[in-house]
Amino acid sequence: MDWQQLWTIVSLPDNVPIVLLLFVVPFYTWYGLKQAFANDRLIDQLEADPAMAKTHHRKTQPWKPGWAKEVHVWPFLLRIEFLAAIIVTVILMVWSITLNAPLEEPANPTLTMNPSKAPWYFLGLQEMLVYFDPWIAGVVMPSLIIVGLMVIPYIDANPLGNGYYTYKQRKFAIWTFIFGFIVLWVSMIVIGTLIRGPGWMWFWPGMTWDHNRLIFEVNQDLPDIVLTNWLGIKSPLLKSLFGATLIGLYSVGAWIGIHKLIVSTPLSRKIYARMSLLQYITMQIFMITMLALPVKIALRLLFRIKYVLVTPWFNV
Amino acid sequence: MADGNGKNGNPVTTGTPAAPPNGGNGKSKLATLIEESKVVKDKAVEELKALKQPEKTDVFKSILRVKHDETPRSRALGVLSNVFLHLHPAKINRDAVAYNYTWGMGGMTFYVYLTLVFTGTLLMFYYHPSKVVAFRDILYLEHDVPFGKLLRNMHRWGAHLMVIMIELHMFRVYLTGSYKKPREFNWVVGVLLLVLTLLLSFTGYLLPDDQLGFWAVTVGTNMARATPLLGHDGPFGAMLGMTPFNDVRFGLLGGSIVDSNALLRAYIWHCVAIPIIASAFMVVHFWRVRKDGGISGPAPVMLESEIKEPKKV
Amino acid sequence: MSNPTAEKPAGAPAPPPKPSKPGIGQALYTILTKPDDADESKIILRRRRFVMASVLGFLTVNLVMFLRFFLPRTLFEPKTSFRIGYPSDFGFGVDTKFQNQYRIWVVRNTEGIFVISAICTHLGCTPDWKESENKFKCPCHGSGYDPEGVNFEGPAPRPMDRAHVELDPEGQILVDLSRVYRWPKGERSQFGDPGAIIRV
Repeated sequence: MDWQQLWTIVSLPDNVPIVLLLFVVPFYTWYGLKQAFANDRLIDQLEADPAMAKTHHRKTQPWKPGWAKEVHVWPFLLRIEFLAAIIVTVILMVWSITLNAPLEEPANPTLTMNPSKAPWYFLGLQEMLVYFDPWIAGVVMPSLIIVGLMVIPYIDANPLGNGYYTYKQRKFAIWTFIFGFIVLWVSMIVIGTLIRGPGWMWFWPGMTWDHNRLIFEVNQDLPDIVLTNWLGIKSPLLKSLFGATLIGLYSVGAWIGIHKLIVSTPLSRKIYARMSLLQYITMQIFMITMLALPVKIALRLLFRIKYVLVTPWFNV
Repeated sequence: MADGNGKNGNPVTTGTPAAPPNGGNGKSKLATLIEESKVVKDKAVEELKALKQPEKTDVFKSILRVKHDETPRSRALGVLSNVFLHLHPAKINRDAVAYNYTWGMGGMTFYVYLTLVFTGTLLMFYYHPSKVVAFRDILYLEHDVPFGKLLRNMHRWGAHLMVIMIELHMFRVYLTGSYKKPREFNWVVGVLLLVLTLLLSFTGYLLPDDQLGFWAVTVGTNMARATPLLGHDGPFGAMLGMTPFNDVRFGLLGGSIVDSNALLRAYIWHCVAIPIIASAFMVVHFWRVRKDGGISGPAPVMLESEIKEPKKV
Repeated sequence: MSNPTAEKPAGAPAPPPKPSKPGIGQALYTILTKPDDADESKIILRRRRFVMASVLGFLTVNLVMFLRFFLPRTLFEPKTSFRIGYPSDFGFGVDTKFQNQYRIWVVRNTEGIFVISAICTHLGCTPDWKESENKFKCPCHGSGYDPEGVNFEGPAPRPMDRAHVELDPEGQILVDLSRVYRWPKGERSQFGDPGAIIRV
């Protein structure tokens, strides 16, 4: 356990925001879900007691008849904004006085640093470069992420939870987002910052970053393994067809799995009934693509498989 | 003084302030002087007293057009009649003021953006976007410019802080379902702002012209060369006649290599073009918040049984 | 701040007043703050003033920092000190050899060698040396100077300044433009000071 190495990585000024993220993200997740569960308890109460549902003021925050429903922005909101501005300024200034922004040697096109890392907010994508070709990891995925995010409000047919935290009324939505944000985005950034070392090799926390560590990683394409090694088939066309078939099978399997999830509870069935065909298909496409990522990662890390689909124009 | 002009014809002696009964021409010059100065003095005292209540002066009223006392009317007007504050409504949901609902991330992101514009503008006073001196300028800022180091650090960490705050803001908006009807479009605008912020970060990264920025941009733009159709290395790119000298990467860099053209372009994107575009989108984003009904909540909880059937088109 | 009144369920007895001795914290609190209503508004006023004073103080410090920021500690400007060769390199009269490189004229007369800084004392243009008319003439507003740089016509208020000159150990003339000798109107001429001329 190389504490020195660990400290070097964690205290690097450019890594400090990521270390902060490790605390801040779980905290806010808990903070939001705590209110969601409180609201869910209230919802349970209201659903159990229709009379209460008619008269209770429907929020977990206290309110009594006669209390104003709105307060003046000046001073109540403005003073909080003022306080927030002060706190943010103080944090930023203390941070800036304590830690120095990095500055490496002058740009030298003939010498690349090792490891050469993208800014932290792109590390998730840089990690994807391990498993996918540059044009997929660098162009297709960012585009899908952006479009996928934009599409969310339009494929969400669930009218509940509009303006308040809830878990039980929006389980599918919340799990999807947590999967996309925390698993696929934040954890990839954490891996890229704290785990990936020289040569983009994997170093568990506490392992020394040895530039000369040798890894013998022979990655093979899946069509090669199955068709060539096991069955002796060498035709590239058949290999491409094999890969395409696998992807097709996966897509169908994932589609069915997601569909089962969507119709698993009475509430989700109700919402499914409200979804238009276009909304449903869009949702399925994005979900299948999102789920494909951990599948591909697992294939690579556990089975040393490089490509599933090999064609003359692109590989997946 | 010896030539009295008075009716009685007598010369006036000094020190007699008594006014002759008929005033006017009959007064001595000194007496008039002293009387007039008294009038002026009284006027001065009166005007000074008025300063004790600055809100009543014309200068004050010309700047702050409404009264600033503690009545509800003044409180509302204080917000509504102020160009900077009238982004806010006069009143808001009493529960939205608590921190736990909104986390304040949207507002804080905007505040950090303003800090970045301010620190960035100041940094521009000492930065030449030329490959010959860019790196030296950063060193210069750190050592030879008073508070230069502080400003540079604030700019860099402020940028990181802004990205983190945007992500938390997105998270909160998602958890409270505040992208649902009628706020769908505002969410889309928000995603665009996220993209613009990341582009701001990316272009700024190159400006110190150090190894960190140089290789980050090299890797990033090399991904651009792998764009399908538009990149010379991407699928179907060669078929369309894309070469390193005319593909989308060339357009971004102003060349086939990350060199002085790339630096200048990054500088202009970072300092001028993207901030202008981002400001335009921010205006839309804040406007939509108001027009869509203000802060989304905390809203009264809705029960499953209360879901209305969607209108059939 | 008034204590929020807790709602007690009916029938619960009111808690008996505590007769115990107050702790240190309690004592200090009582001493330093008197929570009467009359003084409460004073406390609030004091706090308000404190916050305002802190914010204004912070902003004032920031303003001072902002102003100081615009005055860098070092500069990258051309060197003001340089060599121009040996005294034997220069004949009598005005030599324009270094006008383009350093913006100076080297002048030699019976008293010695001195260096004129080619900056018109009117508004800073570079005058021309008119060999045929034996004078310096500034193209901007017509200031005229004699062959030793002393003004005699036009709006120039005083003669052109002269740079500090000395001989270095090798015998070369060392010019230092950061130190100049002037002859302001109505005042003593500095042109005779040691360092204003090399007497050779």
